[in-house]
Parts: sequence; structure tokens; C-alpha cells
Amino acid sequence: MKNWRLKEVIVMATLSVVFGVIYLAFLPIGGVLVGFMGPIGYEPIFGIWFIVSIIAAYIIRKPGAAFISETIAATIEFMLGNALGPILMLVGMIQGIGAEAVFAATRWKIYSLWVLMLAGMGSAVTSFIWGMFQNGYITFAPNYILAMFVIRLISGALIAGLIGKVLSDAVAKTGVLSSFALGKEYKKRKKAA
Amino acid sequence: MFIHNVNPSIKAITIILSVLLLALVFDPITPFLFIIWIWFLTIGVAKINWKKYLLYFSPFLIFAVGMFWSNLIFANEPINPNAAITLFGRDFPTEDVNTALSLSLRILSFASLSLLFLLTTNIVHFILSLMQQCKFPPKLAYGILAGYRFSPMIKDELFLIRSAHRVRGVNRAKTLKEGFNQYKRFAVPLLASSIRKAERTAIAMESKGFTGSRDRTFYRQFTVTTKDWIFLLGMVAVLLILIIMSWQLGYFKWYNGEL
Repeated sequence: MKNWRLKEVIVMATLSVVFGVIYLAFLPIGGVLVGFMGPIGYEPIFGIWFIVSIIAAYIIRKPGAAFISETIAATIEFMLGNALGPILMLVGMIQGIGAEAVFAATRWKIYSLWVLMLAGMGSAVTSFIWGMFQNGYITFAPNYILAMFVIRLISGALIAGLIGKVLSDAVAKTGVLSSFALGKEYKKRKKAA
Repeated sequence: MFIHNVNPSIKAITIILSVLLLALVFDPITPFLFIIWIWFLTIGVAKINWKKYLLYFSPFLIFAVGMFWSNLIFANEPINPNAAITLFGRDFPTEDVNTALSLSLRILSFASLSLLFLLTTNIVHFILSLMQQCKFPPKLAYGILAGYRFSPMIKDELFLIRSAHRVRGVNRAKTLKEGFNQYKRFAVPLLASSIRKAERTAIAMESKGFTGSRDRTFYRQFTVTTKDWIFLLGMVAVLLILIIMSWQLGYFKWYNGEL
């Protein structure tokens, strides 16, 4: 946290708040799907709950951005009324670690589409291991567990990784990110072109 | 008012500990008894209005029902396939029914625990307490508090963006692709304006002398006293007693290789 500028911290916190609200808004959608399909109903849209770690890491590009932003978003989500309560902070940390591990493997240097998608999948892996424990998914038949896991991986890659990148790029084009890593990259690219 | 006054960090730790313990339980009796205990605390001791409580609690019933039936249908091969219970005109192995009931009651017990926390805790106090008791960095804590203040403004912002779109004659989405583009049209200005707001807030904080160092004083101070530890130990003790009780009665079951 020492080499972070205050601006970056506040922007990350605000992004987390915005996505905390969005996370909460997606809960009833998941709830309807779960009502019809059982716990697997959450899986196709599960990637949405990883998206802030991808966006924050892609914009700010500092160690910890993915982990901390996901934790804050989860905190905000439960403060605004998610079912899981304080345990959601722990869930956010677990999801954040998955994405952070992928960024750490590139030493926080590479932020291409593939890395972002892998980071989304990283969150899917850690969150699934936790889900097995917390919701007792382990009592399901192995095939059902596997189907849930594969759908969550795909959702993590596409919704969190791909849509996260598209959104951040669109925001960077508006110019508001000019003092952040992503905005600076955009400026450089513009000069080169 | 006892529960209202417990230190927020200690309260959160208590609830996380209880959830972790409950996640090891695979029988229906223990979570059921625990739910009754939490309801007693919330409505009897903390004096939460029960109508308001039911309103918050009802969404979890849906998730619990979904969990119940999918656990019945997609359950693993039972160890004792002969013992069966008839439900909705179909035979299900007793074991599966028990596990399904246990897992859906687990969801309800988690929900009761978190409502106990949410309905008795001021969120601002929780963040302040995290900073004072759990060594949370002030930069982050005040960042979250600033962001939290923005959350009611998100709705206004959305309304503003929608009006701006209407004025410029943007139509409502009809196909799926248009629908996605519409989300993007809302998301980008929303994100851009919150980033701008955050930057302005950061500048304002710095200009007022906020450095983010841990060496600072607080207007609202939070401390941990004996009553907080009593709450933590008491809650964990009740859960352990319930587990021991249902174990003695032969109900208790925890995860043993049902893969």
C-alpha cells in the first residue's frame, strides 16, 4: 500500500463500491436462475462477481489491486445487504487471491487479454474450492460438480476477463484515466499512431 | 442493546468463526437448533422488529428451497440405498434427504447470522473499528468510507444518464446485442463519472492534510472490552454445545468422504 498514490486508492475504492452495487443487483438474477436450475444456476453468470478485480488491476497495474478491490467490493456488497454477511469479506479475499495469483505470475507486468481471462479463471478456481466447502457442494455427484466447475471457468474467462477488458478500454477512451497506468498506455499508443 | 454495543470487529469475527464451524456440519438438527438460537438473539435480545426481519429473511428461503431439491436430484450415490423416505410421490434415500435438509438449513443459518450482524451494526462504525482494531490501513479505510458515501449517488447518476440518452433520442434495446450495447452505454459514463468524483475526493483529502499514515488520532474511538470477548466465546460455546448435544443424541454428522 506504500507505493500507492492516494488517488489510486480512492479510485479503486470507488470502483469497488460501484461494482459492489452491481454485484448486489445481480444476486436476484442469480436467485431466479437458482430457483429453476438449482445451485448450477449461479454458474453461467458467476464471472460477473470477479469483474472488479480484473478492471482494477488492468487500470491501476499495481500489486494487490485485484485482491484488495475484490475484497472491498465484497465488503460493500454485504454492507448493502447480501445474505452472506461478514463471511462475504472472506469470500471476496478468496476470489481476489485467484486473480492476483495470475497477475503475480506475470510479475504484474503483462496485461493482455489472455492474462485477464486467465485471471478471471483463477478467481473461478479459488471461489469454487471455497464453494465446495461453504455450500457443501461436495455432496453432489462428481459429474454435476465437474459441470458446475467448467461453466464457472468459462464464465470467469468471458464475463470477468473479456467484458472487464472491453469496459476498461471504453472508459480509457473517454480520457478520465489519463493519470493511471492504462490511460498512460493509451496516450503513448496515440502518440505512436 | 447488548448486541448493538459489541465491538463491530469482534462481532464480525464471531460470525465468521460460527460460519466456518457450521460449514463442517452435515446433519439437519444442529443448524436448525442454531437458527432458533440466533432468532432468539435477534428478535428477543436485540429487539429487531420481526416484520422487518421476515422481509429481509424471505429471499434466502428461495435459495434454500433450490438447494434442497437439487441436492435431492443430483445427490451422490448413497451408502445405504435401502432406507428411503417418500417425498412428492417419489422415494428418496434417507441419507440424501438428510443431507439436502442440512445444506438448505445451513444456508438459512448463515442468513440468520449475517442478518444478526447487519441489523445491529452501523457500517461506518465497522470500518472505523477495522482500522482501529484490525490494523486496516487508514488510506484504504477512508477510501472505502468515501466510496460508500457515493453509493446512493449511483442511482441519481443512472437516472441522469438515462435522461441524457432520452434527450438525444436513443431508443430502447430490442435485440440481445442492442441490450448488451445499452449496458455498455450506461456502464461507461457511470464508471467515468465515478472515477472523476474519486479523483476530486482524493485531491480534497490531500489538500486537507490527509497523509494516510497510521500514526493518527480518531474522533470516534472503539475499544475491545471484556463484554466483547464474552460475546465471542459465548456464541462459539453455544454452537459447540449444540454440536455436542446432537452428537450425543446420535444426530450429528460431518463430512466423511462423501465424494
